[in-house]
Amino acid sequence: MSALTVERSLALCLAIEIAIFALLGSNFVTLQNAGEIIRASAETGLLALALTPIILTGGIDLSVGSLLALCAVVFGMTWADAGWPIPLAAGAAIAAGLAGGALNALLVARLQVPPLIVTLGTFSLFRGIAEGATAGVRNYSNFPDAFLFLGQGAVGFIPSQFVILLAAAVAIWLLVHRMTVGRTLSAIGFSIDGARHAGLPVARRLSLVYVLSGLAAAVAALLYVARLGQAKADAGTGFELTAITAVVLGGTSIFGGRGSVRGTLLGLATLAVLQNGLRLSDLPAELAGVVTAVLLVAALGASRAFERDT
Amino acid sequence: MTRAGLVALVLAVSAACGGGGTDNVLTVAMMPKNKGNPYFASCRVGAEAAAKELNVRLLWDGPTETDPAKQNEVVDAWITRGVDVIAVSVENKEALSTVLRKARTRGIKVITWDADAEPDARDYFVNQATPRGIAETLAGHTARLLDGRGEFGVITASLTAANQNEWLRQLRAVLAERYPDLTLVDVRPSDDDRRRAFEETQTMLKVHPGVRVIMAIASPAVPGAAEAVKQSGRTDVRVTGLGLPGDAKPYLKDGVLDSAVLWNTEDLGFLTMYTAHALATGALKPGVTSLSAGRLGTRQVDGDQVILGTPFTFTKDNVDQFKF
Amino acid sequence: MTVPFFALVALLLVLAAAAPAFFDPANLRDLLLAAAPVIVAAVGMTLVVLTRQIDISIGSQLAVCAVIAGVLAKSGLPVALAGLGAVAAGALIGSVNGLLVARLGLPSIVVTLAMMVGLRETLRWITEGIWVRELPSDFQWMGLGQDAGRFVIPALALGVWAASSWIMRYTSGGRAVYATGSDAEAARLAGMRPKQVVFWVFVAMGALTGLAALLSAIQFIDVQTNSGVGFELRVIAAVVVGGTSIAGGRGSLTGSLLGVILLSTVGPALVFLGSQAYWDRALQGLIILAAVTVDALRAVASEGRGPGLRRR
Repeated sequence: MSALTVERSLALCLAIEIAIFALLGSNFVTLQNAGEIIRASAETGLLALALTPIILTGGIDLSVGSLLALCAVVFGMTWADAGWPIPLAAGAAIAAGLAGGALNALLVARLQVPPLIVTLGTFSLFRGIAEGATAGVRNYSNFPDAFLFLGQGAVGFIPSQFVILLAAAVAIWLLVHRMTVGRTLSAIGFSIDGARHAGLPVARRLSLVYVLSGLAAAVAALLYVARLGQAKADAGTGFELTAITAVVLGGTSIFGGRGSVRGTLLGLATLAVLQNGLRLSDLPAELAGVVTAVLLVAALGASRAFERDT
Repeated sequence: MTRAGLVALVLAVSAACGGGGTDNVLTVAMMPKNKGNPYFASCRVGAEAAAKELNVRLLWDGPTETDPAKQNEVVDAWITRGVDVIAVSVENKEALSTVLRKARTRGIKVITWDADAEPDARDYFVNQATPRGIAETLAGHTARLLDGRGEFGVITASLTAANQNEWLRQLRAVLAERYPDLTLVDVRPSDDDRRRAFEETQTMLKVHPGVRVIMAIASPAVPGAAEAVKQSGRTDVRVTGLGLPGDAKPYLKDGVLDSAVLWNTEDLGFLTMYTAHALATGALKPGVTSLSAGRLGTRQVDGDQVILGTPFTFTKDNVDQFKF
Repeated sequence: MTVPFFALVALLLVLAAAAPAFFDPANLRDLLLAAAPVIVAAVGMTLVVLTRQIDISIGSQLAVCAVIAGVLAKSGLPVALAGLGAVAAGALIGSVNGLLVARLGLPSIVVTLAMMVGLRETLRWITEGIWVRELPSDFQWMGLGQDAGRFVIPALALGVWAASSWIMRYTSGGRAVYATGSDAEAARLAGMRPKQVVFWVFVAMGALTGLAALLSAIQFIDVQTNSGVGFELRVIAAVVVGGTSIAGGRGSLTGSLLGVILLSTVGPALVFLGSQAYWDRALQGLIILAAVTVDALRAVASEGRGPGLRRR
């Protein structure tokens, strides 16, 4: 019940944002700009979508941005240094993402180390490997145009990332809201011991969501490299923060047990529109951070208030 | 139902209203590498001054942290908004060049300043000093301090910083060609944090006791390294590097910091605005070899580069003249 | 608590063998000086984590408090008062966090995330990154001079640690912190006020961060306005590696001290051992993971059954 009310308030916020920027911004309400907003938020969107089931289980994954960097570097390295064709290099990147996710999964699901700590460690480890492998310096670029289309191309006003983002959103939505897996995840978030006692395959489900997060990081890495045209160890810096903010803003409880993919998408939209709108209105970028902070507290405060009343 | 209706209503109203302004004032959108950096803050001062003189609207925006993706997004926003000139200090050459090219195809003039993009992605580059020139100046100071032979260490920004990596590349080339008896023992990152530069310098002095010069090539690293050398009591070690005169002043006066290399950042911002203006009005185009830039007088235009000058060395004797 | 201890001993043994220069008294003193602010902040963070909360805003708090100390000193206030101002500012920020978490019941990770972003962006907006310069000459070392200052700062940090350890062990306030983290409802039924405990823990975290900011700032002659980036991760990692459980109710300040010393030693140790800078981050991450993995394996081995049946 509360998640829905948070969503409503968030949708209202989004509407107000759009109205304000429509008045203040230049060319804000255009299809072109809508496409740009989607393009800019595709990568963090994938990460936020993958984080939703994780946070649903009461866990967290701080390492998504760093894993993105590692996958990007693996992609660049296999293509440029080892001479692999693009699809194979992409496969290597995805393998790296799955491996990273598996490491998180192993420590969280099997060894039951708290996810905050595990992903704090892998947050450093993944980007660290990327930095070590490139000595920080190496920057892979000059990718073929066909690949770059993935990040820079469009069909009309619809950016090429849209299809992938849409597919991911549908997949995660099905996972969380329409499959029993989703209910299991909620149960784990509500009470992990209770879930175990009930005989639910806790370790398997937890492993699934962390590995999925790794997959999302890898796909996001490919989109990122295609969009920027370069692969470097500093890719995706700060993305985990944006992704977590989007999920929490959308009403998914950080304590676990309650969440909504629709809320995540709304949260994502709110943040993306905010950044884009401020720029088009010639307002300083720092305002985005301040407004985001206020929105976070307001959104959570509102959800608490509604919770008390029910 | 009401939610969707509300959003639809808002969109309809706003589409009807339109937004932004169209007037005859030239709009120049200027972007630093990141906004939280005093180096760029001082460039902005010069740019604002020039904008006022020229009656140009200056939009100053950029990432608040050095995130390669953010610069692209800001330029995309400017393309959507519609500006006359985009002037960018480029954090990531390959990444930004893609979107700069896009801007040019939309009729927006593009110049770069402080750090360049790929040549076909911009019309002109306002160059304060070439990476080679910077490397040569720094190597020259180091060689002088070491009397031509000895060990030195470098404190850089972050390991992935594009500018610093370019300077290091050039530095190694200059060392190989001209100063074969100078040994660069190690390069440590400061991540633009003064405390980190301080601690790395302390450690470096202990791990490599033969080091006699610390070269700090990031603005916050200069006072950090200098303070570390000062506190260590090692009077046989001196510091040189790239940094703001204001931060360097106390250490220059002390003697710990021998020299700080930079350029007049306010002039850089000033010249960038004048270049943007000249480009937009057609005064600057291929074949032109000089540019009139207000209080800076006439500046040389070399092909597609507008030259500010050569790297300037701040010493304890001249640093008082500068206010940034 | 034993994991960081053994890891530290192992590291020191390796250094003794491969790079004995590490044990030069000047080096050890400098490392302790650098660790002093982290020690102070780790004391606060231990309390926070013990009560089952988290505070990821201390990096931004550090920046703000350092700037306040600098601005106050520059405006003519004696350095001691400027320092007090920094601590007070930290306490104030902490009290806002505490109010939102304890009174409104909002999750601490989100509240402190908002505070972290809000504070840093506001600070950046106002200062544009320009440092607070031309401070009075008695700002550095609080006028005590380098030799005294370099002794007083670590002494103060360790003093704060010792006092806090005593308070946690021997006073009812300390017990209330453990009780709140262990089982807040049971604590409430036993007559304690867990909400108040949480509130004051955040205030303490803020005040200690202010003190850490001061101890760090007075080692220099001016104040950088965007310091403390990544500080919160450093402190949290140290506390967790030191054995304080993220699930609350279990941990010790001694463990956190060891955690700080271990993690503060790793960086310089790697340089002494000849490691390249670009492998630093990977090694730091590996060490954190190794420490928690060993701990988890130990838990499985000693309890003989899955650690998951430990109360969450």
